[in-house]
Amino acid sequence: MEFRHRDYTAEAKLFLLGRDRAEIHPLSVHSSQQVNIADDQILQYDDPLRADDNATVSGFYLEDTENSPTTGVSSEYDFLPAEKEWSSFTRFMTQRFPVPKLVSVTSVSNAIIKVGKTHEKSSTGMHSEELEDPQSITENEVKVITRQDYINRLREFKDDLIRAWDASDRVTSLKISMKVTKLLKDTCVLQFYPTLFVLVTDILDMLGNFVWDRIKRKAEFTEDGARICSLPENFKIKDICQNAKETCHNWFCKIGAIQELLPRIYLELALLPCWRFLSDQPVVVTQRLVVMARGLADPLASAYCRLYLTHCAHKLPSCDVGVLISCVNDMNVQLKHFITAKETDSSTDNKVLLVSVMEPTIEYIVKCMFKYVSQRELDRTLLALGLGRNMEISQCVSVVLHHILKELAVEVVSSNAMEFLQLINQSNDSSFRQFMNYRLLGLRLCEKRPPVYIVDTLVNNVLKVIEQNESLDEYLMVIDAYLDIVLQNHLDSCIKTILEAISQRSCNKQIDENGVISLQSILGKLLSHYQHLEDVFALSHFLEILDLLVGGSRSIIVIDILKMATRNSYIRDPATIELLFEISQALNDSFDFANMKDDDNQPEHLLSRFVQLVDFGIERERHLAFLVECRGAFGTIDKLKETLVHSSNGLTVKALKDTKNHVNFVKACIAFSEVTLPSISAQIKQFNLYLETAEVALLGGLISHADELIDSAISCLHNMEIKEGSRAAAEAELLLSSIQKLCSLLVMLPGNPIHGSVHFPKILVSFVNNAPWMTPRMRTGILCAILSLLAACSQNRLPYHADKGVLWGSNNVFFGDSANLYELVSLSEHIVQNLVDAVLQESSPAARGAMALDACNSILSSFTIKDETYAICSKLTETAKLCMNESNKYLQSTFQLLEKKSQLLVKG
Amino acid sequence: MPVVELKLSRTNRIYRPCEHLQGQIIVNSRSSISHSGIRLALNGSVNLQVRGGSAGVIESVYGVIKPILIVNRSILVRPSGKLASGTNEIPFSVILRQPSENLGKFYETFHGTDINIQYLVTVDISRGYLHKSLSATMEFIVESDTADFLERPLSSEMVIFYITQDTQRHPLLPELRSGGFRVTGKMSTLCSLSDPITGELIVETSAVPINSIDIHLCRVESVILGERIITETSVIQTTQIADGDVCRNITLPIYVILPRLLTCPTVFAGPFSIEFKVYIVITFQSELSKLHPKTDPRTPRLWLAIESLPMELIRCRSDD
Repeated sequence: MEFRHRDYTAEAKLFLLGRDRAEIHPLSVHSSQQVNIADDQILQYDDPLRADDNATVSGFYLEDTENSPTTGVSSEYDFLPAEKEWSSFTRFMTQRFPVPKLVSVTSVSNAIIKVGKTHEKSSTGMHSEELEDPQSITENEVKVITRQDYINRLREFKDDLIRAWDASDRVTSLKISMKVTKLLKDTCVLQFYPTLFVLVTDILDMLGNFVWDRIKRKAEFTEDGARICSLPENFKIKDICQNAKETCHNWFCKIGAIQELLPRIYLELALLPCWRFLSDQPVVVTQRLVVMARGLADPLASAYCRLYLTHCAHKLPSCDVGVLISCVNDMNVQLKHFITAKETDSSTDNKVLLVSVMEPTIEYIVKCMFKYVSQRELDRTLLALGLGRNMEISQCVSVVLHHILKELAVEVVSSNAMEFLQLINQSNDSSFRQFMNYRLLGLRLCEKRPPVYIVDTLVNNVLKVIEQNESLDEYLMVIDAYLDIVLQNHLDSCIKTILEAISQRSCNKQIDENGVISLQSILGKLLSHYQHLEDVFALSHFLEILDLLVGGSRSIIVIDILKMATRNSYIRDPATIELLFEISQALNDSFDFANMKDDDNQPEHLLSRFVQLVDFGIERERHLAFLVECRGAFGTIDKLKETLVHSSNGLTVKALKDTKNHVNFVKACIAFSEVTLPSISAQIKQFNLYLETAEVALLGGLISHADELIDSAISCLHNMEIKEGSRAAAEAELLLSSIQKLCSLLVMLPGNPIHGSVHFPKILVSFVNNAPWMTPRMRTGILCAILSLLAACSQNRLPYHADKGVLWGSNNVFFGDSANLYELVSLSEHIVQNLVDAVLQESSPAARGAMALDACNSILSSFTIKDETYAICSKLTETAKLCMNESNKYLQSTFQLLEKKSQLLVKG
Repeated sequence: MPVVELKLSRTNRIYRPCEHLQGQIIVNSRSSISHSGIRLALNGSVNLQVRGGSAGVIESVYGVIKPILIVNRSILVRPSGKLASGTNEIPFSVILRQPSENLGKFYETFHGTDINIQYLVTVDISRGYLHKSLSATMEFIVESDTADFLERPLSSEMVIFYITQDTQRHPLLPELRSGGFRVTGKMSTLCSLSDPITGELIVETSAVPINSIDIHLCRVESVILGERIITETSVIQTTQIADGDVCRNITLPIYVILPRLLTCPTVFAGPFSIEFKVYIVITFQSELSKLHPKTDPRTPRLWLAIESLPMELIRCRSDD
């Protein structure tokens, strides 16, 4: 065989594509899109507190759309969502309070205990002693019953009621419901009270439905079952027959005769919809019940009574907001009375607990109130709540205020921001932590910013007030809420004050969980506000405050900082680099990179990106020193080590370009890479980096270094194994292209006289033949590449040189040496043989065809055509023909090429 | 054995004096019955008796006083004849008060402790002396005629009351005396039977925490026995309006539905009278009260403050 002589420059000219000047820069169109992306990122932050609000708001919208087509006509339709909301609310409420296993009850709840006793007698006597603590009975008349027994007992009551009703025993039904309702008088059960309330009102609602159905039937049918009429949804009392009215009236008389206030109110509420049979204005009844509830002095009992009232009032076709307003106002008065009542030491904690148990009722009532209030009525409502023009006279207790603030339309909050602030100032009572109200106001104001002219005063006032708060955590929580407003209005002096205050408070105080969350949010907001990291670092106390954060939240902020640092371009400021390095180090310490999945390892990616973007300009030594430092600090991160090698190689290239006197520096860089490389564990990457470094070394004229590096690369190949799996094909493809690159690099390498010019190709061929996991396809690819390499090496002029031909190529060392040429040819022959074998090994016909053509083309371009080569090529094209469609373009063009060359052969 | 039953046209059995008492006599028999006439008897009377209460021992022994007759009339529904076997429904209609008749006032039905005003209708089928006569009796309820109502509109005037430590004529707990309390309010004292008693009440001050505020509705029955008036007062309904130590200076509503069978219009007849009274009782929190859990609410106790108001009940035109 004989290598074909090539004139690369002439060929390049021949095959050069025509070039045209472009009118527009192809990338210029995208600039506007980039702006959009940036905007989106700004809007992306979400407040966990507000997500909840949004959910409920959207829920309301849903209801509105459901109701709108039937407004005022069908109450049944309104019914459903309200019912659903109620059931989800009650479920939430029972889960909200941890109920102890044992519930202590007073003598009021005798109904539960008494029957419990008879129950136990039937079972074992042992049980009864466990159930009741004999001591507590004698001393405080407090008994203890297990929660489950209590609940079971209530279920029994419910079953009894259903049974009695089915047996037409209305009196018993009423008696059972009265008995059950009386249990609500016992507020000693505290955290169990919400559960108790839910269970009892469930029974009451059931009774209410029974009675409603019964009276409705009486109104619609005679006793014989003949239909009198069919009541429309919005019936009037004129539609109701006397008999039905009589029955209904009787029920209310029975309830009116109940001596005790609480069961009387509850039962009338349960039957509230039935008032529609007797009155066209049932709202009047609701109003009376609201004032009746004032007679319940126990704050817990009355709060839950009002909750039930709110629930029942919704069952009437027109719900009057006035009723709810009175509820809220009464609640305020009662809470105020309760809070300011003489405090003994032990009762303060108890009060806090009590208020927390009451809170769901306040929440629900206030929510309902604002849900049903129309925009038009809003002013009137606010006035009625004492939140109108003269807010100073408002009697709001802070816990009520909190929920009003939470539910009120954001426009109202925003336009009365100052007034609300003052209101919060005044309402400093033990029912709710004042700072939480300040915080809430801030959060609401962020939803819709108040007018600019008051922002300054507002923020200053808030700062002044909160300044008095000694607690770091509370301070942080409030500031967090206002920070957006401060930042958006560029109140830089405020930021200074805030940071100062935080640092001052942090001196001697521990920070707790909530504080950490707020601080994280504060720092996050600061970061997203500023464009440049330098500005953030320049804020006084910023770094000091950053040190307050620990653990996960610190990492999150550091990640944010790194994101910001790596968002734009190179990082050049040495001070910034140093700071970033320090915090990165801390981040690195806190993460366990080894155990992380590759896919979403953001910190790892960010650290690498940071190192990549660092730029010391012409101070290259310093840059290299930085890289060394990084290797020391982040040695465990694989990806980062790759970046280090890249960076150091980049440095070398820059140094080579810029200065003449660079040998020592280049050597240092190459040495750095050489030391770093072996510890990279991803083999393909390691291989590529070896190649890259070898290339750079070659460029710098360090041929022996390049030699060694290529040696290492190839030995690295030997250790490699591509395992079966989903990514095997892709990896094989990568490796193939890397080996092809190695071949193209070998063209430039002068070659070591000791080993001879075919040293590396030989090793490669043996690698190809010996690696057990090598696929025929890969083998063909590599062999073709080596074949091209050998052909190139045989040329007088190489296709390309390192550093524009200043340096020697492989042919410079060996050209003209016939022994060398012989070696090249004999190796080539060996390769061609292997190539043909490899092609035939491929099992898939389509792949085999393509491979045969590849091999054929490779041979054609490398050798002058002779009989021997022509035979091989014909054989290969025949193989391809068997596997492929004749019209295949590749096949045809290869075939034509072969024909053309063979004509030369004939001529020759 | 044949069975006879009475069935009135109204399920609630309420009739007015000017109206006809209507209904059916239902006779169920396997064989036919021959009878010597079916008669219906109306009887209304005020029965007075004295027992316990303010009456002495002697009076209670000779307690029964001659009843006052309101109406006693007998009408022949069917002349003598024969009733077929099976169910016979014989309708009847009797006017309660004949315009010509000038008997006593038709008082409303009332069942009290000492006074009983009752109206009965009795059917009697006599079957000669060989067979026992068949009979059935049923009570019906009389409510006043619309024509008897007062023409004056029901005034919405309220009586204003105030209760302090100084309005109490019985001994109080020392802390109540010294600490003082003041509860004010107003209440209607003229009330239609179909309407609730309404009013309001405000606890202005109270040094001792309040345990409960209750409204006791009482019935006062008086009977003239010889030259004495014997009065019996009984609580007929208790309604709690405040449970626990309520807020000061907040208006609590008074709303008491009148119990149907235990009330009637206030009556001042010659030999007897039926009146009503309301007691507003404030119970203060006291360890002592726990020792006497059940007491008559009108009994003055150290921890109670009581105010009584007269209550006139009337049957009103507005009742359908």
